[in-house]
Amino acid sequence: MAQITRNFTSERPLHPKAREALQSAFDQGWADPRKVSHQSSKARALQNEAIESLGQSLGIPAKKLEFIGEPRLGNFYAVAGLLRTGDILIHSSVDRNEVLAIARSRDSHEIPVGLDGHINPTSLASLASLASLANLDCATAVLALQIANGETGVISWYNEIISQLPSVSIACDFANAGIGAPLPDRWDSAFFDSKSWQGPEGLGILAINNESRWRNPLPHLGPKRVPGSASLPLIIASAIALEATASDALTTHNRLRELSAFLRQEITSKITHCDIAGNLDSSLPHINSFSFLYVEGEELLRHLDKAGFAVDSGSACNAEDLTPSHVLAAMGVLTHGNIRITLQESTSKEDVVELVRAIERAVAELRSR
Amino acid sequence: MKKIDCLGLRCPLPIIRISQEIDKVAVGSQLILLSDDPATWPDLQAWARMTGNHVQQRDTAEFSVVRQNQSGLNGH
Repeated sequence: MAQITRNFTSERPLHPKAREALQSAFDQGWADPRKVSHQSSKARALQNEAIESLGQSLGIPAKKLEFIGEPRLGNFYAVAGLLRTGDILIHSSVDRNEVLAIARSRDSHEIPVGLDGHINPTSLASLASLASLANLDCATAVLALQIANGETGVISWYNEIISQLPSVSIACDFANAGIGAPLPDRWDSAFFDSKSWQGPEGLGILAINNESRWRNPLPHLGPKRVPGSASLPLIIASAIALEATASDALTTHNRLRELSAFLRQEITSKITHCDIAGNLDSSLPHINSFSFLYVEGEELLRHLDKAGFAVDSGSACNAEDLTPSHVLAAMGVLTHGNIRITLQESTSKEDVVELVRAIERAVAELRSR
Repeated sequence: MKKIDCLGLRCPLPIIRISQEIDKVAVGSQLILLSDDPATWPDLQAWARMTGNHVQQRDTAEFSVVRQNQSGLNGH
């Protein structure tokens, strides 16, 4: 009998409505919208309609949006576009590797986080003085602000952080949060990943709020802000997925939050020595990160896979360079024996009960070796 | 002072070894853990928090572990 694997990884299939629309989007939107022809003007109309719809769903005027075919490069555009020579880049210790890479190439300041995954207020005070120092030197500071962490789901207290840094430019990373967190009170650039609302992979959305500050950070000729080679059918499918996801987002979020609370309660009541990264109250409702003491993450993944459950891991044995997750290490959470369970819109309570049973069995077996 | 040599071993093995050894010594006793795995220091600190023991980094690959947990529930 074929094994049915229940998916608890961060990857999700395309939203059914986007999937349905994709074929016709390829049929109708294949022409270059910038050219002069009947097909091109049809493609242009579809493009404008999709961008208007995305802008409306995100609460950002369509003219501020740009589309990038390589989502991780989109985050670079958002951050590096605000930076000038000599500017200080401020980022948190749990930020994504792409931001850490930019930070290593210039003057930067890393803000530590606590066990709960949040930047603590005392770090903010020193940060504020750093920012004012930067201003005295006629340089400025840019804050790379991750709205929600992809490994732990922790949503940063971003409005509080921004209010402490009035003179700092803000580049927001909404790649994980998607529409799960509102736009901040003040921001200069933002980056979204279409995947976060079950849109197609391979599409990043850059929003430029401060048009006088942001500049294309890559070598370029002419006034174009980004290369503009993102696939039009994917933009159309992304707009449809976002519209569909946004329409019942609140109901879905509430249901997933309840299910995550149940999952966390079940795991901690049934398995000893388990470390949970982040509090559910200040996290995305569907991401749960557990670390089990004395257990090897990869072995745990294999046991669960055999039992028919696919999950992710942040443990070192699963990383390409065999180093532990910098996010878990920065928080002080156990890095070995880690699994990340992402609840899907389709996940039922029975799925969670069976998953917990499988984890309980696997952890007990691995600890008894 | 007993030295637990875990050089070359990957996590969670150094943490498993220290948890096995710590229950064999009296409360207040110190052990030295030698480990060069990059996950050891963050994981040793998390282990200490979860089990109620005390740890300190003495060198890049050398850690001091003091048993403070009296109940012997170090768990492995």
